[in-house]
Formats: sequence, C-alpha cells, structure tokens
Amino acid sequence: MSTAREKMLAAVRASQPGALPLPTVPLFDGEASVEKFIALLESIGAQAIQLPHLSQLAATVARCYPNERRVASDLLPATVAVAATTPAATLATIDLAVLRGAFGVAENGSIWLPEAAMLHRALPTVAQHLAIVLDQHALVATMHQAYARLNGQPGGYGTFLAGPSKTADIEQSLVIGAHGARSLLVLLH
Amino acid sequence: MSQPQNHAQRSDLFLLDEERTTWHDETLWFVRQKRDRAVYATPEFQELRQLASDIKDHTLSRLAEYLEQFEDAALANGVRVHWAADAAEHNRIVLGIVRQAGASRVVKSKSMLTEECHLNPHLLAHGVEVIDSDLGERIIQLRDEAPSHVVLPAIHLKKEDVGETFWQHLGTEKGLTDPQQLTEAARQHLRAKFLAAEVAISGVNFAIAETGSVVVCTNEGNADLAIGLARVHIACMGMEKLLPRLSDLAVFTRLLTRSATGQPITTYTSHFTKPLPGRELHVVIVDNGRSQQLGRPDFRASLKCIRCGACMNTCPVYRRSGGHSYDFTIPGPIGAILSPNIDMRKHASLPFASTLCGSCTDVCPVKIDIHTQLYKWRQVLGAEGMLPASKKYSMKLLSRVLARPALFKAGGAAARLGLRFVPHALSHAPGYNPWAIARELPAPPKQSFRDWHAAQAATPAPTV
Ligand code: SF4
Repeated sequence: MSTAREKMLAAVRASQPGALPLPTVPLFDGEASVEKFIALLESIGAQAIQLPHLSQLAATVARCYPNERRVASDLLPATVAVAATTPAATLATIDLAVLRGAFGVAENGSIWLPEAAMLHRALPTVAQHLAIVLDQHALVATMHQAYARLNGQPGGYGTFLAGPSKTADIEQSLVIGAHGARSLLVLLH
Repeated sequence: MSQPQNHAQRSDLFLLDEERTTWHDETLWFVRQKRDRAVYATPEFQELRQLASDIKDHTLSRLAEYLEQFEDAALANGVRVHWAADAAEHNRIVLGIVRQAGASRVVKSKSMLTEECHLNPHLLAHGVEVIDSDLGERIIQLRDEAPSHVVLPAIHLKKEDVGETFWQHLGTEKGLTDPQQLTEAARQHLRAKFLAAEVAISGVNFAIAETGSVVVCTNEGNADLAIGLARVHIACMGMEKLLPRLSDLAVFTRLLTRSATGQPITTYTSHFTKPLPGRELHVVIVDNGRSQQLGRPDFRASLKCIRCGACMNTCPVYRRSGGHSYDFTIPGPIGAILSPNIDMRKHASLPFASTLCGSCTDVCPVKIDIHTQLYKWRQVLGAEGMLPASKKYSMKLLSRVLARPALFKAGGAAARLGLRFVPHALSHAPGYNPWAIARELPAPPKQSFRDWHAAQAATPAPTV
C-alpha cells in the first residue's frame, strides 16, 4: 500500500497517548410533540401544514404552489419523471419536488431524508422549492433518539434537512434561498 | 509602509477604519449572544460538552486504530481512500483524481483544510477551473482574499464591498447593496457552475470509523447540490475529524451550530457513505502537522477543534483585530495555538494576541483549554528565544528587578514620586511606551504596600 499511509499511521502511533475511555452517551430525551416540531420548523424558516388526511395531499400541493408546473414526486401525479439517472439539465428545470421524509426531530426541526426517498441525490437541493410529507407520529425528541433510530445504518447517502437553504454571508443578514431549495413546506399527516 | 510583521502591526491596519472595526466587534458579539440563547435553551448542554471532549480525547488516544477502521469500512463501501502526509501530497492527489476523471471544471464547498493546503492555486496552475461555491467563500475568491473566519469567511466585508465585487465580476448593477438581491445574483451565477462541474470537492466535518461515512454540514446546500450532480466527489479531511460511532454525531451535531451561530442544527447535515454505481467517492486523509501536534502533550487538545468559530466570536482581541491580522488559515484563539505548531517563528506573535481572559475556553464546545495553551506557547516561545523584542527586554528588566527586593523597593519609591511629576506627554510619548497607546496609568498611591503593611503590623489587631 501507499507509503504515505504507513508513514502517517506510524507517526500517529508514535504520538498518540495511552488509551483513554470512550464514554457511553445517555439517550437524552425530551419533548417530541407536533407543536414543538412545528414551532421549530417555523423558527428555521420553514412552513408547516397539518393535513386532515393524506388523501388531501395533491389538492393541498396544487393550492400552495399555483405557479410551479414542473413537479417531481413519487407521492402524487408528477410532471417530470426523475430517477437516479436523470441528467442535470432536466433536474435544473424542476420547480417543485414533493418527497417523503422518514422522521422528524423536535429539538431542531430537522427531517431525515434517506437516499431512497430522494429520487435523485441532487433533487432536494436542485428543485426551486421543496415539500416534505411527514407522518406526524414519526417524531423523535433529540438527535440521540434520531441516531438510535438509524441504528448505525445511514444508507448510501442521507441528510438531516432543517428548513430551506439559507445564508448570512453578506453582513450577517439572513437570506433564504442560497443554493438549495428556496422554500420548505412540511406537510404533516 | 513596510510589510506588517506581527499580529499587532496587522491589527493596526484593520483598526484604521474605526467604523468598520466597531461594526465587526458588535456583529460578532451579536453572534456570540445568539450562541448563548441556544445554549441556555439546551438543558444538557454542559453535559454534552463534557461528552464531546471525552469522545475526542478517546478518539485521539486511539487515532491510528480508528483511521484503519475507517479505511476498512470506507473501502467496503466502494470509497477510495487516499493518504497525504502533507499539503503538497494532498494537492497532488486531488489533481491526480481530477485529471483521471478527465475533468477541467471543479466546484468546491467550504473546507478549511483545502485553504490550509492552498489547493486552489495548485489546481488553477494546472489548468483546472475551481469555483468556491459557499457564498462567502465565492465573494472572497473573486476578491482574491483569504477567509477571515472559519464559519463566516467574508465577515470582514460590508455589503458595499460585495456589491462592488459582484458589479465587477458578475455584472450586477453598480451600487447594488441589498443582501437579498446580491445573494440571488450569486445563486444564478453559481447554478451554472454546479450544473457544469464534473468534480465536486468538499471538506469533512466528521468522519465515522464504524460506518466509513463522511459528514458535511452546510446551510446553503452547496455541498449536497454539487456532490449530487457531479460524477466524482473528493472529500478532503484532516485526520483528526474521526468519531468512533455514528451515534456520536448526536453529541456533535447538537453542539456545532448552537456554538457557531445559535442555530439548533445546520440546514443540511449530510452523510456520504457509498457512491452510486458509475460514480466515485474519494476520501483524502491529511496529516500536515497533525501527528506532530498529537505528540505535544500540552497542545494535543487543539486537535479536538470542530471549527465552530465560537472562540473567535467571543474573543475581545479577534473582534477588534479581524481574522486577517492572524495571517494564518485558522484565525482567532484556536488559530493562535495551532499556528506555532506549523511554523513557530512565523507565528510567534499570535499566542500574544490574547488577554488570557479565558472566554474562548468557556465557550468551546469540546472544552479545549485554549487560553492555557496560549499561555504555554508563550513559555515555549520564550524558551526558544522567540519572544517579540518589546516583550523580551521589558520582561528581562522586570525579572531582574523582581529578583532583587532592594531594587524593587527603590524603584517603587521612585515611581510613586516620579509619576506624579512626569507629564502625560512623556509617559505616553509615542515610541517609548507601546503599552500606553490606548491605556491610562492609575494614579500612583502615596504609600507602598510594604509601608502600609508595616504600619498595620504596628497597630494592635482589633478584638472581636
Ligand atoms: S477551538 Fe473550540 S470554540 Fe474555537 S473553533 Fe474550535 S471548537 Fe470552536
């Protein structure tokens, strides 16, 4: 194998101190209510709607996005078909993606979005707007609970998504819509 | 004016613009206050800091084993793992991957490591277009400047500066200063770059030994967008980024952004574990002085840093001297303890760019004893004969006086008398007393402590 590898590992072995213990991290818990989750979502620039029933999804999306015509989704009738092989030029034209989130984290308003739910790895960021459908019973209180739920299996790619893309790089003024989605709507059912 | 040689001289340049200095100071203090609000709202925050510190201590104590475990897991995931002992090797490896991919267009998300290695100039010199995609990084790239903060790379600039830069480089309207419109212009400009890039380079916030994953945290979504579109992803990581278990991320994701900006978590906390079929994920593990720092017991803890920037935001010196005054990739208190490890002589003034107030240590989410290390570096620099001249001679004189009680006594008496008569213009004469540039002397007491104590001892103690 590469000599750099051997050199680096030897240098680390020569430098590292005697083994110190690895602590057990408590599974800190807390409030995992829908109210808290929605409050957090709103504080990080996302919007939330509670659907009385999942059957209202298509109608609600149509009402919330009257001008977004190019829609990618596996949850409602889509106008752009997206798969893992869809070329960038097609992805770039998508106005809205409607995807299913796996579970939400009440302490920070984030939602675990596994690769399987994304249709294409770039879709959640390349779409101009993003709507996430989430079962409101699928909420955990803290990141500890969230990683316990992943159980050491993060999949090929997955992200904790917390609100729309944002930046404050110009004079610390918050601007929503940096490079990823310009808005995030969470549809809870 | 000749090239400024040390931190104090470079700070002078920053301080020339008083209004901007005040803005910089207040803005960063505001970020620190946001951090405080987020911290107070998290009941177990102090416990988390201790856990984070202990997990990092443990990982560093078994770093070689974890590096091997990470490599095994990553290889099993179809990831290609590269090892770079120094910056030059890192740059060579990255260029090699780009060439192998037949690529000439690269987008890069935020990575202090690639700044440290000066990757951009290397790629540019070999005909590769590299575009920084984080908004703040793109702004400073267009201006040909270095980042001045680890989380807020363009915090030294005002919106007027950004407007001017975008007018020159992106063709926006002259005089545009609205952050919303400026950001939109950058979004449009960078979208085209994202779509065209063949290779995406990212930094690594955390690497997980157990799963072989690399985790990248951004607010803008630039890393995910670029990586999701490009065929090849190169993740560049310092070897200290490892964590043993996936679940350890709970501790660190809870601490990182609360400490950095007061957000509960970054917008995107993304876990890259396996490349898709037909795509490539390369991880470049870099030493570049880290194993040496690991071997210095007094300074090893600096490798626990998660680059949250909290120590900068809180530092009274950083806030009033700006990131560029440190002249090192990582500025602020943490930069001042990392830099002498790289080049002691060049960065000898940085451990002195501190009041040793300890505020950095108080806010550090991984409990690095930053101000103690600053103090220890001063001892090392003193022993190596690298003290700044102004400190060297005054310290020598002071130690001679302190070692001779009679001399100290005589000097005190002279000062008490003398200072009463020395005109302000003389005690504060420019060039003679740099300490007095922005300070006033206290009024000299009439009696020395020694005389006072003798008088007290002569009077009988009061009975209770
Ligand atoms: S030293 Fe601590 S406070 Fe400073 S950037 Fe690193 S982790 Fe944050």
